[in-house]
Amino acid sequence: MAAQDRLTVNTFTRAELTAPVPLRPLPLLRVDGLSVSYGPHEVVTNVGFELGRGDSLALIGESGSGKSTIARAVLRLLPSGGRATGRVAFDGQEVLGISERGFRPLRGRAIGFVPQDPANSLNPVRTIGAQAQEAAALLDEPDSAIRKQLILDTFAEVGLDNPQRVYGSYPHQLSGGMLQRVLIGLAILPRPALLVADEPTSALDVTIQKRILDLLTRLQHDLKISLLLITHDLAIAAERANALVVLKDGVIQEAGRTTSVFSSPASSYARKLRADVPALNPDRYAPLRDVRFHTLKTGDASTPKIDVNAVTKTFTVDGKTLTAASDLSFTVPAGTTHALVGESGSGKTTAVRLLLGLEQPDSGTISVGGEQVTGRSPEALRSAWRHLQLVYQNPFTSLDPTWTVEQLVREPLDRFKVGAREERDERVREASADVGLGEHLLSRKPGALSGGQRQRVAIARSLVLKPDVIVLDEPTSALDVSVQAGIIEVLLTLQANLGLTYVFVSHDLALVRQLAHTVSVMHRGRIVEHGTVAEIFDNPQQPYTRSLLESIPSGGAGVAQPAHARPRVTAG
Amino acid sequence: MRGAYLSYAAKRFAQAVVVILLAYVFTFVVVSILPGDPITNVLRDPQNGFSEDQIRQIIAAQGLDRPIPVQLWTSLSNFVTGDLGLSMRSSRPVTTLIAEVLPSTLTLASAAFAIALLLALTIGYGTQFLPKRFGQGLLRGFPSLFLSVPNFVIGLALIHIFGFQLGLFRVIAPDSFWATFFAAIALGVPISARITEVLIANLDKESEQEYAAVARSRGLGPARLFARHLLKPSSLPVVTVIALAIGELLGGSLITETVFGRTGIGSLVQRSVSTQDLPVLQAVVSLAAVVFVLVNLIADLVYPLLDPRVKLIGGQGVRPTTADDSATATSAAVTS
Repeated sequence: MAAQDRLTVNTFTRAELTAPVPLRPLPLLRVDGLSVSYGPHEVVTNVGFELGRGDSLALIGESGSGKSTIARAVLRLLPSGGRATGRVAFDGQEVLGISERGFRPLRGRAIGFVPQDPANSLNPVRTIGAQAQEAAALLDEPDSAIRKQLILDTFAEVGLDNPQRVYGSYPHQLSGGMLQRVLIGLAILPRPALLVADEPTSALDVTIQKRILDLLTRLQHDLKISLLLITHDLAIAAERANALVVLKDGVIQEAGRTTSVFSSPASSYARKLRADVPALNPDRYAPLRDVRFHTLKTGDASTPKIDVNAVTKTFTVDGKTLTAASDLSFTVPAGTTHALVGESGSGKTTAVRLLLGLEQPDSGTISVGGEQVTGRSPEALRSAWRHLQLVYQNPFTSLDPTWTVEQLVREPLDRFKVGAREERDERVREASADVGLGEHLLSRKPGALSGGQRQRVAIARSLVLKPDVIVLDEPTSALDVSVQAGIIEVLLTLQANLGLTYVFVSHDLALVRQLAHTVSVMHRGRIVEHGTVAEIFDNPQQPYTRSLLESIPSGGAGVAQPAHARPRVTAG
Repeated sequence: MRGAYLSYAAKRFAQAVVVILLAYVFTFVVVSILPGDPITNVLRDPQNGFSEDQIRQIIAAQGLDRPIPVQLWTSLSNFVTGDLGLSMRSSRPVTTLIAEVLPSTLTLASAAFAIALLLALTIGYGTQFLPKRFGQGLLRGFPSLFLSVPNFVIGLALIHIFGFQLGLFRVIAPDSFWATFFAAIALGVPISARITEVLIANLDKESEQEYAAVARSRGLGPARLFARHLLKPSSLPVVTVIALAIGELLGGSLITETVFGRTGIGSLVQRSVSTQDLPVLQAVVSLAAVVFVLVNLIADLVYPLLDPRVKLIGGQGVRPTTADDSATATSAAVTS
């Protein structure tokens, strides 16, 4: 109580000092002592920051850090049960305490919102145009023809190719990138003074991510909009915002101008966050990754663990023939990691399904560990699956919610009837320990686990059969950077200890650089470029590979650039 | 897309016609294999005083001595041309009997349906936007309350309060506006319970969706949010429930008509059952089948219009599976 009193006195004195002579203009958004709680559970504690007119500020943190909750509190869109206390002043006017009716005129007109998941942020049963009209209605333009023209102009402004077609489309007919452009368009249409963007690109591919962020930055400058950016990616935040607020468990860890916070973080948490961004630390795991690689290189590289030879697969959808995989060829030496890199629709998933024998290719052969995968019945493939396991990208949907961790990890052993009861118990314990799951977690159900813990369960589940090859399908794309770092460390340690061979499917080039040995870049069902990590990253040959590399957020100009962006000095 | 919808509609329509014909055949067969012979019972009734010869003549004239399949064929072709035969009791055409009572039942049923919809929408809106302290929770209890009170109890209560106590309508003039209005309430309230239940559940689901929050961030007030965003996606499952509720409406009208003393299909059925008037019963059952099939046909035709994501494949409306489903199937396939 005493501490709180002193705090009030302090604020009061400061306010008194600054009141007579306004040294600087009033900030557009001023958050002061903001706390948000759900019932007795406080998720944001005493957060304060200021965002100037035309300025940009990023809230950074992992999931659960309260960054999105702060955004929702500012937008007054907290889910029912959420209670915010403190002060949020927009343009000098207190908005937290006023009625919904009083706040509504600010919605859209003054404060725009770009949400996280474009696929679920537009009404699925109404056309884009119908929803755009709601944003246009905020413009006080009585002529409906002019309103529609303004919408089409805005669609063109955010880089949508065919505004007329977009206007008449339903959300499910457009791609995620197009939907996010639509949502940004709808947010800027009424020309708000403040734009709140909640992880605007986390659901999108890297090249699209860069284009969307470029668009936001350009609009912010052209229209003099203030940007409140919420992101878990420190590199994106540093690249796109002038000021940073680093959050953990709802408490500010560090705040300040980007240049100082990013290049010389003062708090240990900000330092850790920085260390976990793959793009900023390309060689972080190099020693661990290459433990076996050096010895293997001299060894039996002649008999690859995985041999994919001229594989082609086409699908027929609505009478149209779609080539999902065209003449794919790559080999993976035992004990190494091969990365398949590409954006959505590049054919990565088809490649994985072919590799696992879930699809049969039209032509070409695949062998894993000397065993042919192609041309075999599912029954015959069961023996191959014992040595070939999959870790699926989304740990939130791939585990049966009614099973305990122990049951989940044990299931493959029961299915393949491995060993006696005691041996199975032992193996479950071993695999769980290998991935860093404590004994106390074994009796829990997936619902009581974090995303990182769930993905560890998925890895333990594939590990328990002692396979030689694990196919990792975007194993960390649903996870935070720091959680991702933990998973990567587990994977590399397992590889170093057990000599596992990985096929790592990802769209995240920075991550691939940290852990892979060889890389195939896929684009529209073809492998456009392949080589060692060094070859691909230091000397990309194809324009598509270069565009992927350029899309990696690196933290902006004020920071040391990753190697690929530096001008290369070639000797001879 | 338009071509696909038209061929979908045509297929659904053809299916509906087949179902109606099958329903007619089914009721005909059931009636003819029932134990006891109501026709000869009527003819042999001493009051009618027919001789055995006359009875044989009548039976031959009506074609009742011919084999069942032949009788079925005659009856079915008459049904298709709109000839439902003669009532055994009054000797008047069944179509005339039904035409006399149908308007009254239709008025009652459509008024009840309108009231049910209005109730569902009002309660649905209230559960989403009424402030907590103004009894939002109370509203959520309404559907189970409505369901647990039989409609004749509601009917009797309404007659007592509004008819006798307040004198708003005269019980002996059951077709007056107010009498119809209160009869429609008695019939509509239980019907609305099912619709409201499903509507509330779906409104709750939809208002949690991200698009609802994003729409609010565009400055939409509660009324517009409800009408433009929440109602349409929420109404998809409601359409199915409504189609089923129409069946209840038919059954419920029988009881309500009795309670309010109205002449309608209900009282016609009651009379025909007690006098074993088979042609009338067969006609009413067929009529019910036609109504039921038509209502479901309409529901099927409306569904793709409400949800653009429904794909029309081979006369079936199918929601496309999401990418996540196939991916989960992948991981399941590998472990098995």
